[in-house]
Amino acid sequence: MTKRVFMLPLWIRLWHWSNALAITVLAVTGISLHFSDPALPLVEFSLAARIHNVTGVILVGLYAVFVIGNIVTGNWWQYVPKPPGIIQRCLRQMQYYGSGIFKGEPEPFPPTPETNFNALQAVTYWSIMYLVLPAVIVSGLIFLYPQFSPDTLFGLDGLLPIALVHYLGAAVIILFAVSHIYLGTMGPKVSSLFKMMFTGWYEH
Amino acid sequence: MIGHIRKTLWRLLALLAVLAAVPALADDPPSPAELAKIRTGNAACLACHSEAGLKKPPKDGMDLKALRKYLVHADTYAASDHGQMACTKCHGDGYDDHPHAAKAREELSECQDCHARKAMRIERQFDKSVHAENLSDSFTCATCHDAHTMALASKLRDPHKIVAQDNKICLDCHDSDLAFARIAPEKKKRPPIDDIHDWLPNTRLHWKAVRCIECHTPAEDKLSLSHEIQNKDKAEKKCATCHSANTSLNARLYRHLATEEQHKYGFINSVILGTSYVVGATRNPTLDFGLIILFAATVVGVLGHGLVRIITTRLRRSKKND
Ligand code: HEC
Ligand code: HEC
Ligand code: HEC
Ligand code: HEC
Ligand code: HEC
Ligand code: HEC
Ligand code: HEC
Ligand code: HEM
Repeated sequence: MTKRVFMLPLWIRLWHWSNALAITVLAVTGISLHFSDPALPLVEFSLAARIHNVTGVILVGLYAVFVIGNIVTGNWWQYVPKPPGIIQRCLRQMQYYGSGIFKGEPEPFPPTPETNFNALQAVTYWSIMYLVLPAVIVSGLIFLYPQFSPDTLFGLDGLLPIALVHYLGAAVIILFAVSHIYLGTMGPKVSSLFKMMFTGWYEH
Repeated sequence: MIGHIRKTLWRLLALLAVLAAVPALADDPPSPAELAKIRTGNAACLACHSEAGLKKPPKDGMDLKALRKYLVHADTYAASDHGQMACTKCHGDGYDDHPHAAKAREELSECQDCHARKAMRIERQFDKSVHAENLSDSFTCATCHDAHTMALASKLRDPHKIVAQDNKICLDCHDSDLAFARIAPEKKKRPPIDDIHDWLPNTRLHWKAVRCIECHTPAEDKLSLSHEIQNKDKAEKKCATCHSANTSLNARLYRHLATEEQHKYGFINSVILGTSYVVGATRNPTLDFGLIILFAATVVGVLGHGLVRIITTRLRRSKKND
């Protein structure tokens, strides 16, 4: 008999999937811009630029929803890894991904409404959401209004450091997205966690 | 009859002499002594034709309102292509005294008089341009070229300065109803320059970073940029012409820097990085390669992990069933 626990309110689920869609669009158009090549365009440059700019602004809005929603509902607390033993719990989690899961061991820290994330998740999500994504967003906004970038820096155009932060940040987010989707299959069943992200109910 | 032929012959000889003299005139920079003499002569003109002259006129009773329109800035002039030339080389002797001779203006030399060979090539391109074809003969080389200020790209070097100089020519006319109406056909209304190019994002930023002629001239001329401003249907609209690894900026705005290092800090088209970061053109292939490898490794890692999970789950299940 499976048990059902309600984990995720509607606003988080709506935010999550809008965010996922926006980041996918930004990644595809961003890659088209960066690797622009008239011979084999993924998305033609001017179209890519237009879509990327609009979606970028949407993502800024979504990020505001995320931050405000987290403050208002107190959900931000989920992202804070709680001592003691954060490192041990992270190591335990890694050991589970590295070998335990192959032996059919149970998840060491299954999600509960009180602690939705295991320690490793909390650390990763916190870094992505509060360090990397803001860096990408701020550099993206400067890219959009380049008059706010320094004119020159060390004899090179002042937009270069902004572009590098944006590019490297974007790369980290894309790498995160790949592993994030895969880790989504690590629930009790391959589909459990995806189902939870749609319905809000965790079945185990 | 014989007199007539003799006259024609003399004229031909005189023409040949001028043609032979021009290259010499154009190639040899003046010696320091000659230059000092030229500067003293020019200073006589600038005594009136400068801000200082306007404030403290060396002579009473001049038409200062007219003079205000005719100022030449000494430093800008000295830095220009013609900075080592005497004013009188182009303006003739009619201006030696003031009031100037009534017909002084007619003696003004044209570009072709001294730059015969170059002007011939350029004139062929100019004659095909929209300006030559659609506007009256009053649109000449001098409409664009201010002989007192313009400097070659290779002399200015800094692309920002080149862009500022060259775009000012076009914008002074295309961005001003007054100037445009002075030369346009009666009924032609000036299309607002930013509206026409509203498909180009960060339009004003582009005006500061690239020249109008980057998009409005054909690419065929190997010696220099073509003077054929084409009609709008032939203008460049493809972003990737500039925004790609094989950017045309190298052959155009940055051609005078083409011999400089192209792979500083591992970036392609790194000469451009000194003035502009151009999305798609100024990137770092080493960094890109590293990130692609990292991405591939993540995907392979994730797939491998999944595969091992599937296999071990199967094994465990078949063991249980045994
Ligand atoms: C004593 C003052 C003075 C000196 C010296 C002077 N100019 Fe002028 N110039 C004027 C004034 C005033 C005008 C305005 C119109 C007028 O009064 O003729 C003018 C007008 C001009 C014009 C435009 C008018 C036209 O019809 O072409 C040119 C070109 C010019 N000067 C060239 C020169 C040159 C070249 C020299 C030096 C060889 C020179 N001037 C020396 C006072 C002077
Ligand atoms: C390479 C040739 C050349 C030299 C050298 C030159 N000029 Fe001129 N100048 C011209 C031409 C061409 C024009 C006419 C521009 C036009 O038609 O709008 C002109 C016009 C002028 C005018 C009138 C401006 C106007 O708007 O009509 C003044 C004043 C003048 N020159 C002064 C000088 C002075 C002073 C010097 C020396 C410091 C000088 N020029 C050197 C070619 C020259
Ligand atoms: C009285 C002769 C004379 C006239 C008229 C003249 N120039 Fe020059 N020009 C020179 C000389 C001399 C130089 C400097 C020597 C050199 O670098 O070739 C020069 C240099 C230049 C240069 C830079 C050198 C190069 O290789 O191209 C340009 C561009 C130029 N002139 C354009 C013009 C234009 C445009 C006009 C007409 C508005 C004009 N000139 C009228 C004599 C003249
Ligand atoms: C529509 C404006 C315009 C007209 C008209 C024009 N030019 Fe130019 N010209 C320019 C610009 C802009 C540049 C700078 C391009 C560059 O940096 O290579 C230039 C550059 C030049 C140069 C130096 C570069 C080279 O090709 O050697 C010469 C010489 C020259 N022009 C001569 C002429 C002559 C002669 C005429 C008349 C037949 C003329 N120009 C008409 C805008 C014009
Ligand atoms: C990135 C390339 C690019 C640059 C840079 C550029 N243009 Fe254009 N321009 C175009 C294209 C493409 C068109 C045709 C637009 C259309 O038909 O919708 C055009 C159209 C025009 C027209 C025709 C307007 C009309 O409808 O009659 C003028 C005039 C013009 N440009 C002037 C300029 C001037 C001046 C500058 C420099 C300040 C400039 N352009 C810079 C690409 C460019
Ligand atoms: C003195 C004024 C003047 C200057 C300087 C000038 N133009 Fe023009 N230009 C005009 C006028 C007037 C027309 C309209 C011609 C017509 O009737 O179609 C025109 C037409 C054009 C067109 C053609 C638009 C079409 O309908 O296809 C282009 C492109 C253009 N200009 C670009 C330039 C560029 C680039 C420069 C600078 C290198 C420049 N112009 C300098 C006055 C000017
Ligand atoms: C003639 C060459 C050229 C063409 C064509 C061109 N660009 Fe650009 N673009 C540049 C240059 C150079 C810069 C760098 C400006 C700077 O920051 O100095 C730039 C900057 C930009 C930027 C600013 C990046 C930022 O946010 O700071 C965007 C966006 C852009 N271009 C988009 C486009 C699009 C879209 C098109 C096609 C519709 C296009 N460009 C066509 C040369 C070009
Ligand atoms: C995670 C999401 C994002 C990814 C993966 C991403 C990716 C990229 C990439 C790869 C480029 C090309 C950079 C280069 O070649 O130097 C780029 C350019 C750019 N990005 Fe982003 N980006 C993201 C979010 C944003 C946001 C939030 C904004 C704005 C608020 C933004 C605005 C821009 C702008 C303005 C450019 C310059 C080109 C253009 O104007 O379209 N990006 N992005």
